Amino acid sequence: MFDMAGIVVEVAQALLALALAPALVGFIRWMKARLQNRRGAPIWQPYAELRKLFRKDMVVSRHASWIFRVAPYVILGSTIVVSLLVPVLVTPLPFNAVADLFAVVYLLLLGTVFLALAGLDPGSAFGGMGSSREMTVAAISEPAIALAILSLALAAGSTNLGEIAARTIARPSSALSPGHILAFVALFIVMLAETGRLPVDNPATHLELTMIHEAMILEYSGPYLAMVEWASWLKLFVFLTLAGNLFVPWGLATSLTPAALAIAFAATVAKLVVLAAAVAVLETRVAKLRLFRVPELLAVSFVLGLLAVASSFSLR
Amino acid sequence: MEGLFSQVAALGSSGVLLCGLILLWRRGVGAYITAFTWQSAVLAALTAAVGYFGADRQLYVVAVLLFLIKAVAIPRLLRRVAQRFTAGREPAAYVNTGTSLVVSGLLVLLAYAAARPLEAISDMPTRAGMPLAMGLLFVSLFVIISRRMAITQVIGFLMLENAIALLAVLATYGVPLIVEVGVFLDVLMGFLVMQIFLYDIHDTFSTTDVDVLKRLKH
Repeated sequence: MFDMAGIVVEVAQALLALALAPALVGFIRWMKARLQNRRGAPIWQPYAELRKLFRKDMVVSRHASWIFRVAPYVILGSTIVVSLLVPVLVTPLPFNAVADLFAVVYLLLLGTVFLALAGLDPGSAFGGMGSSREMTVAAISEPAIALAILSLALAAGSTNLGEIAARTIARPSSALSPGHILAFVALFIVMLAETGRLPVDNPATHLELTMIHEAMILEYSGPYLAMVEWASWLKLFVFLTLAGNLFVPWGLATSLTPAALAIAFAATVAKLVVLAAAVAVLETRVAKLRLFRVPELLAVSFVLGLLAVASSFSLR
Repeated sequence: MEGLFSQVAALGSSGVLLCGLILLWRRGVGAYITAFTWQSAVLAALTAAVGYFGADRQLYVVAVLLFLIKAVAIPRLLRRVAQRFTAGREPAAYVNTGTSLVVSGLLVLLAYAAARPLEAISDMPTRAGMPLAMGLLFVSLFVIISRRMAITQVIGFLMLENAIALLAVLATYGVPLIVEVGVFLDVLMGFLVMQIFLYDIHDTFSTTDVDVLKRLKH
């Protein structure tokens, strides 16, 4: 399995994730705009934003330390590593040996921690507020993700992501089990919290006092901002892929033939479109929660994850 | 076929349980009534599915009755009651949302433990849903004791009844039709009596917050 072709596909799939992430965000924005009766920016608008930001100069606060400069690389890097581990197109991959549930969860957390540190570093009050909120959210959402995926792992008998997807393909009926459904709902809620989507954080504005993600990156500009933004889009992409390919893994290629890869590509894009549309509809329907109610929402997700684990455990 | 049946049963029961958990998270009597309506509809669908897979015609009748009474009639009555005397929002429960969610999670785990022997002796394809039904039973009891408004407690009671119906359908493919009809009548009558009580409580104390009902008036 550790042949050249596998590694090429692996890297290609990570690059594909990196390339498609802005389009995914653009699609969600466009869909939201249509639902709200606006014309909306075209889907490729985020690419234009990235290009603009990469060309701009940077302004870095005099009080910022090396953490502020390192953080964008760590955030983008850790997210890219995660996208190497998640089954985007093919399921048994060369890096599968390390594509562990816990590795993925904590690599994502690494990016979150550095983002929070970067928010604190320049010493602006607003960034600090964002960081403290982000840590509050992360502290509750991280175990909820782990629980949600753990229930799948229990059903599959392995914490390996590729293995989980492969087992579900082999036993289609398990996708309808209560553990699966509860875990999917749990993961979806956590996904909204982790990627700063609407009931938890508002991705569309810089000007709300209760914002989380935008508050932390307020001090960033130019290429650094582009990297941080791109990383957060990639994170959304990774989460939606996880939700799509772990819970509904059909269409994933199990071999490296071009036909299988083409089908896998089409299937992944279709799943992403469906999930992105769900996010857009949800964001149009719900209002942002009060910050104090966010832990309650995450508690819902945690309890659902717990129930999912309990039912997977009893059904084993 | 067997496999599909047990999947559908487990799926339906988790849907019913999920609707029960919404009660703990949402606020406002309107949202509770919506959750109850959905729960009853899912329960009716599940009953019909059990009737289909178990080849039991009577269950179709039960499903239709269940839908008409619990997903149409009672929610309508509940909404009328709610409109009459709730000023929108419910006062906070005795237990805050986060804690009550965790408590209900633990209750469902307890139900899994409690239903173990039940699952062990049963060889029905529906047995996977039994712990969930029992969990809903515990959760609705918890709703009844932890909420302050009489109307929410009534909804908790109705959910408890749903849980028992669910357990009956899963454990025995439903009790005989005549018993089922009797139960429906009981639920409806019970609900009407409670409604009269609610009106009375509201007329006497001008609130349905049970915290205020500690002393006797008159």
